[in-house]
Amino acid sequence: MVALSAQHVVKRYGGVVALADGNLNVRSGEVVAMLGANGSGKSTLSKIITGVVAPDEGSLTVDGQPVSFRSPQAARKMGITAVYQELSLVPDLTVNENIWLRHEPLRAGLLVNGAKMRTRTRELLALFEGTVHHLGPDVPVKNLPPGERQVVEILKALSTDPRLLILDEATASLDSQQVDRLFELIARWKAEGKAIVFVSHRMDEIFRVADRATVLRSGRTVDDTPIGQTSHEALVQLMIAGAAPNRTALPSVEQERSVVVEASNLSAGALKGVSFAVRAGEILGIGGLQGQGQSDLLLALFGAVPYSGQVKLEGRPVRFRHPREAMEQRVAFVPGDRGAEGLLYIRSILENLHLPSWSRFGTPLKMGQARAEATETAASLSLVMASLDAPVSSLSGGNAQKVVLGKWLSRKPVLFLLNDPTKGVDVGAKGEFYELLMRLCAQGTAIILYSSDDDELLGLCHRVLVLHDGTVAAELDAGRDLTHENLVAASLGSSQERAL
Amino acid sequence: MSWTLPGVLRRNPYLFTLALLVLAMFANYSFQENFFELRVVNGTLRGLLPTMLLTVGQAIVIIGGGIDLSVGTMVSMINAVLVTSISADSTPEQIAGAILLAVLVGVIAGGFNGFCVAFLRLQPIVTTYATSFIFSGIALEVLPRPGGNIPRELSNAYRQPLFEIPVAVYVIAVVLLLWFILRSTRYGQFLFAVGGKSDAAYTTGVPVTFVKFSTYVWAGFFAAMAALALTLLTGSGDPRLGDGMTLTTIVAVVLGGTRLSGGQGGIFGAIMGVALLTLVSNIISFANISTWFQDLANALIIIVALAGPETLRMLRRIIRR
Repeated sequence: MVALSAQHVVKRYGGVVALADGNLNVRSGEVVAMLGANGSGKSTLSKIITGVVAPDEGSLTVDGQPVSFRSPQAARKMGITAVYQELSLVPDLTVNENIWLRHEPLRAGLLVNGAKMRTRTRELLALFEGTVHHLGPDVPVKNLPPGERQVVEILKALSTDPRLLILDEATASLDSQQVDRLFELIARWKAEGKAIVFVSHRMDEIFRVADRATVLRSGRTVDDTPIGQTSHEALVQLMIAGAAPNRTALPSVEQERSVVVEASNLSAGALKGVSFAVRAGEILGIGGLQGQGQSDLLLALFGAVPYSGQVKLEGRPVRFRHPREAMEQRVAFVPGDRGAEGLLYIRSILENLHLPSWSRFGTPLKMGQARAEATETAASLSLVMASLDAPVSSLSGGNAQKVVLGKWLSRKPVLFLLNDPTKGVDVGAKGEFYELLMRLCAQGTAIILYSSDDDELLGLCHRVLVLHDGTVAAELDAGRDLTHENLVAASLGSSQERAL
Repeated sequence: MSWTLPGVLRRNPYLFTLALLVLAMFANYSFQENFFELRVVNGTLRGLLPTMLLTVGQAIVIIGGGIDLSVGTMVSMINAVLVTSISADSTPEQIAGAILLAVLVGVIAGGFNGFCVAFLRLQPIVTTYATSFIFSGIALEVLPRPGGNIPRELSNAYRQPLFEIPVAVYVIAVVLLLWFILRSTRYGQFLFAVGGKSDAAYTTGVPVTFVKFSTYVWAGFFAAMAALALTLLTGSGDPRLGDGMTLTTIVAVVLGGTRLSGGQGGIFGAIMGVALLTLVSNIISFANISTWFQDLANALIIIVALAGPETLRMLRRIIRR
């Protein structure tokens, strides 16, 4: 028997509150679904329960006793284990070695008992027999497809014989056969008296396995209800209620404006045959849960990943094989990870602003002209900075993001691709960022914006394509049916009518 | 498990180096007819052993995801400590004490590196580059100029084969045995997990900080062993004796199929890497290449050995097309 209770748990990262008031209760023989929109604090709460992250405030009790876990190991000793969404596997080690890492069966208390490890791995693998094709004890994890890695992750958690198992988006990369098998297993574990927390975005799955649902919204637990006494619609309402987005006044797009980009049957990575068109001066939002192919869509248009399908830019068919070719056609891209892809952090603001356009300044570089233009750009971005020579690392997140945008502004792009640009940017800077987008829009640039922030899609876009499993689940028009309800319903993969 | 050539190559990335090593042995034999005679083998191995021991420590650090640029000057420092605490007429007790002291110095020096990298989370390259000057300074302080003596019987014991087998062979056998035991303990699993993906290891509850720390202690321990072998070989002290060995150990580790970013590889390959490097420079000196080109030839062979496995893979891909 086990009972876990988290009360009023708070977690802050710097100035950002990831979890404001997290509450969760789960008992032996019970499956609790934890749900909430992107960034509602689900993952943070499950990391706190498993000791990966230490809470700033609040209490955690196991079997009525207050506990505080200083490491994942401490939580595991109490029988609490999670199947993580970001994989906790070491790619170079084999399936065997990964599953038993940290609790390898030993011979004479010293040597790892390889034979026993292998036998027990086979027993665990038998649980998913028939649904996996590459798995074996001695296969390196890096050679496995994502779904089977996820299976290894599940088996790894199971190998510790946990009393409380947290499945954090564990079904996201499994195929339907594997999901069915997992649900059979969950039913068995429930009967054995394990407690299970099931974190998922997929409504139908929640109604299939859960006994109770705990809903989080903006870092707070807002409801805890038996699954029989609620409905699909009621849960969606709870996840989004009260979040009234303010619309930015958008310049309207006249129908006669020319189509800038037209993609038909575009497939790349997770994206499966998507078609759309964007006109000059239009902002097309891309929505949906994370990892449904949104980034692949943008990267394909930028020529950064191989793709199939047709793309027409300003009426001419194009096929970019390298971002450089896209840039030459004045396509610009703002990546999601500023640090890794967008900026040279330790270099000056001046260098960063001119990075894509140094060739305009001749050889040797006309530094006076470059500086004058950079000053102009910085002023138009209203950058808050010490000087143009200060390193980008000295800027705040919002200002740094403006530099990423500024890099492309001077090139007057015809198509602007943005990959979740305001992640981790404060509210004030977001406002200025939106103004810049508006200005681009007014110049006639076509913009495709992927955002994990629903408010942004609702407030900023003329149209929103909601992706689910790599296909378009819904196309919502700002004038007609672009509402938060429709957006959330479509991203959960259910039809619009059902949520209405 | 697949027994196809690419599969076996992937699991044992040192096979290419092994092939080159066999080739180098026969090339050496063609220049030096007595190459396989016990006397010559003994001489070759005796000269190899210090670098091999040092490379074992370096390999453990690199597998654990770090690097140690201070192992060379550590050898210099420990050599200085050894020769100043032994003289030509030392008693066996004094000698045992000196060896113990040498091991202690090595472990403390490695522990200091490990503390900085694992606990203070400093960059391994920069940290160990900096500490290499500390160790070098200590070596010069302890032994300002080359000199010192060790008992003749001691160097003779190292020079003569024991039961018709070179002493170095016993040492290498013990080290390999230790490695295979270590590899099959929980600690061995942790080492590869930490080097492979340390955050995944941390989430799984592996004591990442301790494992990283321990790799540098191992490096210090093996630096002491290397210094001991080198002191027996040269019979005297020199405060700059080991300074040039660091880069050789890193090249040997990589030649032996260990990935520089960690999490993959082993000691067996690293030892072969050292052997290959030594034989190549042997061949070059026998081949009457003018001294001007010796370094160039050496460098080219190293590049071929490093590029080999990847080039083979590329060729296969091209052929299949």
